[in-house]
Amino acid sequence: MQEFLEFTLGGIAVGMIYAAVALSLVLIWRGTRVLNYSQGGMAMFTTYIAWLVIRHTGNYWLGFVVALASGLALGAILERTVVRPTEGKAPLNSVIVTIGLLIFLEGLAGIIFGGQYRSFPAAFSVTGLKIGGVALGISSSDVFTAVAVLAAAAALALVFRYAAVGLRLRATAFSQSVSRLLGVRIGRVLTLGWALAGLFGALAGVLVTPSTFLYPNSMDAIFVLGFTAAVIGGLDSPVGAVVGGVLLGVVLSYAGGYIGSELVLVYGLVVLALVLMIRPSGLFSAATTRRV
Amino acid sequence: MTDAPALAIEDIVAGYGGVPVLDGVSVTARPGTITAVLGANGAGKTTLLRTISGFVRPRRGRVLVGGTDLARRRPEDIARAGVAHVPEGQGVITELTVEENLRVGALATRDRAGRTAALDDAYRRFPLLAERKRRPAATLSGGERQILVIARALMSAPRVLLLDEPSLGLAPKMVAQVMDLIRQLRDDVGLTVLLVEQNARSALGIADTGLVLNLGKVVAEDDASALAADVGLRRHYLGF
Repeated sequence: MQEFLEFTLGGIAVGMIYAAVALSLVLIWRGTRVLNYSQGGMAMFTTYIAWLVIRHTGNYWLGFVVALASGLALGAILERTVVRPTEGKAPLNSVIVTIGLLIFLEGLAGIIFGGQYRSFPAAFSVTGLKIGGVALGISSSDVFTAVAVLAAAAALALVFRYAAVGLRLRATAFSQSVSRLLGVRIGRVLTLGWALAGLFGALAGVLVTPSTFLYPNSMDAIFVLGFTAAVIGGLDSPVGAVVGGVLLGVVLSYAGGYIGSELVLVYGLVVLALVLMIRPSGLFSAATTRRV
Repeated sequence: MTDAPALAIEDIVAGYGGVPVLDGVSVTARPGTITAVLGANGAGKTTLLRTISGFVRPRRGRVLVGGTDLARRRPEDIARAGVAHVPEGQGVITELTVEENLRVGALATRDRAGRTAALDDAYRRFPLLAERKRRPAATLSGGERQILVIARALMSAPRVLLLDEPSLGLAPKMVAQVMDLIRQLRDDVGLTVLLVEQNARSALGIADTGLVLNLGKVVAEDDASALAADVGLRRHYLGF
């Protein structure tokens, strides 16, 4: 029972990070039907920027904010420069461009920052929390992770629901041509979608890196698991992304805890394969067919 | 009539590569009138509307709205310049609610107060939409969707309304209602309407003027009543 509690809470905490990555993928997918394979690379890069800021100023929160801001900027810049030319072309074009972007970003990080593993600080203590002598399997840092992702997701949901810009984002996601007929400047909307994706990726990066170390490939595994979470949720549902992330986190935590933790990434791929076999459209998607 | 035209299409040549679908088409619509665009399938009616709204780039010619040439601009910029296009097959965003569909229509051209006023206007004019405003647009019937897309097009306070086959797939009673609505919009709001229709009889019933397209050229152009009275034209092109 004690173990079960620890694995559950620990799984939810890790799942929040998958949820953030999944949200970043969903934000781009639903607007453009582009799967951004460079999302992990972008998050790694913004985490390096945070690492630099923290090392030079000693201020974690400054690094945190700079990471999020550079995630926004990086997303917008990449959409305008590299991704825009693939708009309206065959889906394979954007696949190749974003994979190329991933390789480029990881190579560039290696050149600038070196390939060695670097430790990245957590915002709060990573020692396990206890209630009345019972270990919960999570730390203050995990609680912060969950709160930060949930707050960001809730803010996104509010913007989607109530703000004019959120309505533009949704209308464009569902029908670009109708949105253009109604005068929505979809170019700006797509840039904004990428910027928001960059923000959520950056958030995932700074939250997960204290437990993975920072190196040019440090986000690869997280990206795969975040992608799995997005697929579980249906790829175009923000709610599905969060639920998928938490589900995956908990399942992998049980698998890691009860079976053995060496093969967590493999378990993740098994979950992905199972979802694709049983319910390929995901748990929260209305769509019945998919192009990629 | 000495009014400057609200919409003037001059010598448009356009198509999807290869043979042009529109081969030197000119249309003039005076403000506050309904112009029926008639012709068989493949005559170029839909392409004409798609060229005006910017989805098809003309190879030649001008599209003047209130005197400004909008040809070869992007669809979103043309919409912002006051051209509302209701495409065939309606274009309701089914995942959004009725109210959200309406709100999208006003985003581009109106400020916050204007958006609220436009929404109130829409609900006053279309009580049916007010009753269903929280429902997903997917739950509306075909006729209700047609009313929604027209109401949504009006949200931007357009100068020119382009309607592509608004009667398509509707029951006869609903067709009459939609035609009545278009007539009201001209009479009450002074809207300039370009009405593409297969249903020539209904369209000419409310139109002021009309033209017949055949294989990308204008083969007849006259007052609506004169077109409707032309037996040869009706036999040849209009099918009634």
